Amino acid sequence: MATKTSLTETGMEVLTNGQITKGLEVFEQPAGSKLLTHLNSCVHCGLCAESCIYYLTTGDDRFTPARKVDIVSSVYRRYRTFTGKNLPWLVNARELNRATTDEMVDLLFGACTMCGRCTMHCSIGVDIAYLVRTGRTMLSNMGMVPATLQSTVNAAVESGNNMSIPTDEFVATLQWMEEELIDEVADPNARIPVNETGARILYTLNPREPKFFPLSISAMAKIFFAAGESWSLSTKMYDVTNYAYFSGNPSEARLIAERLRRETGDLKAKTLVLAECGHGSRAFRWEAPNYLQEHFPFEVKTSVELIAEYIRDGKIRLDPEKIKDVVTLHDPCNLVRNGGIIHEQRYILKHFVPDFVEMTPSGTDNYCCGGGGGQLAMSEYNDRRMKIAEVKAEQIRKTRAKIVVTPCHNCVDQLSQINITFKLGVKIVTLAEIVADALILENEKK
Amino acid sequence: MQGCGITETGWLCLVNPDKMHWYHWISLASLGICLLLSLVHLIRLIRLGRPTEYATPAGKINPAIGYSFTGAMSPAKKETAFLHLPTYFAGIAYHLGTFLAILLFFLSWTGITYPVVLRFAMAIFLLATSGCGSGILIKRMLKKGLRSLSNPDDYISNILVTFFQMVTAVVLLWDKAYPVYFILTSMLLLYFPAGKLKHAIYFFAARYHLGFFYGWRGVWPPKQA
Repeated sequence: MATKTSLTETGMEVLTNGQITKGLEVFEQPAGSKLLTHLNSCVHCGLCAESCIYYLTTGDDRFTPARKVDIVSSVYRRYRTFTGKNLPWLVNARELNRATTDEMVDLLFGACTMCGRCTMHCSIGVDIAYLVRTGRTMLSNMGMVPATLQSTVNAAVESGNNMSIPTDEFVATLQWMEEELIDEVADPNARIPVNETGARILYTLNPREPKFFPLSISAMAKIFFAAGESWSLSTKMYDVTNYAYFSGNPSEARLIAERLRRETGDLKAKTLVLAECGHGSRAFRWEAPNYLQEHFPFEVKTSVELIAEYIRDGKIRLDPEKIKDVVTLHDPCNLVRNGGIIHEQRYILKHFVPDFVEMTPSGTDNYCCGGGGGQLAMSEYNDRRMKIAEVKAEQIRKTRAKIVVTPCHNCVDQLSQINITFKLGVKIVTLAEIVADALILENEKK
Repeated sequence: MQGCGITETGWLCLVNPDKMHWYHWISLASLGICLLLSLVHLIRLIRLGRPTEYATPAGKINPAIGYSFTGAMSPAKKETAFLHLPTYFAGIAYHLGTFLAILLFFLSWTGITYPVVLRFAMAIFLLATSGCGSGILIKRMLKKGLRSLSNPDDYISNILVTFFQMVTAVVLLWDKAYPVYFILTSMLLLYFPAGKLKHAIYFFAARYHLGFFYGWRGVWPPKQA
């Protein structure tokens, strides 16, 4: 990695030629014509402003998505176009210097959750979130990822999970949860299988589950139990998250994805089921095959799809009288808008929740909770993160719901903080948790 | 020669080079340069092709690309449209005016003539659409957020296209304006591949890629629950 040089006369750190070269390498990435297209398409109409929660809550013009596009494409223009090289003033072609990278870090890491709402509504069709990620990759190449986010990536790279949970601690948690499961389903044969070769499903977890919310593990285990599923967890590689996707470092993202791919193969699972994690689902299902440049020899699906299948196939039954409160749903951006899982969670909830209310807007138009894009890992932007949460708080308040369901552990974290900050008085749960609560077990059926 | 432009002395007529003046030749050369450089952009896009996707698709690409160019662009679906309806409709009118002015420029090479009523109708339409362009320009100048987003290219592009429409309208009614018309058209043609006007090429690629992206993941076209 390139090192930073001494200070300039103005006291501002300058970039080394090596850093600049590494930064500009991003424009050579193999993406077909996609990158070239989006770098050249924005017409600066500025109509995307209202699609962004940063602009909506602050009114700050700097946060308009087009500004985020422009700072990336302005560097492209300066170094890769005839006009930008020769008449930079004409097209606002910017030098890649410290002032530019400082602004890039603030806008691309600190003022964007990469939710992609602006992309869907762009009047031209510019993939704004993709360009933000490209800008993040440029900064990552230059060693300028915020240290807080990078430490999360480093934890995953070095320990195998982003919270550096030791294996023995993880195993002890699973054993504890297995005891809980046995008690709950009143069956001494109920298990949380670990490292079983040949199980149909290899299930993953968000490390925040064993670390802070182990009951969500037993909730999914209860669903597997009720469905009579053949499944297993791995103690070697269970982390569904991939924060290198957010930091924009493809080699680290590739390394993390490769571990999960290899473990699925080693355990000979037919299906890898991704836990409720928006970016984790996206990173593995949609991005990992491209990182690794291979078609996976196993099926990849989300736990949301799996639970919906269980209901459709009659493998699990849910008690429609169990949930009496008004329930609403928060759509994780990476699972829904960027992942195509739109109807399954609604199918599940409408199956047993009598009073289900949609947020406005919802589905692919839903607003980000504010915790995406690695924001939860970057504590330096905490104030900004809670400011942009005003939109989500208001959406929830308008539903009058008492329970907010979201199939994403990152969203659960952010929504829990929103709940406290904005005094919403709601309960935040994952989909597996609310389904597990309403499960009718075989012995109950009889 | 009969039928050479709106009047017998007015428009350029390729079929009779004796009637071509220096500004005709300049516009012809500008058109050649514009087409050549635009072709460079286009060939580069085609040569690079679409990105290779290794993930198992969750939807169909072609309907999604179709939706990207149709339903996804409608005010009913696109927030940038329904939250900004005056700008949206002004933008559509402005682009229609541009397409008409370009069409008239190309038709001018054929020596076609137009009835007086049609000339007046087209001129009024083009004046109206250039008014829309002017409105968009004024909005860019007055709104702080847009101003801070803009660079000289944004203003120059708008001014060139707006004037192109205006002068086309004028020349439809008054053939003495044709030297100005051809000079301005030449400027526009030469500027096209260098600035943001080239979005006329990249727009189609952007909508294609967006349709491809959402189609592969099963997001577009929207499915019924």
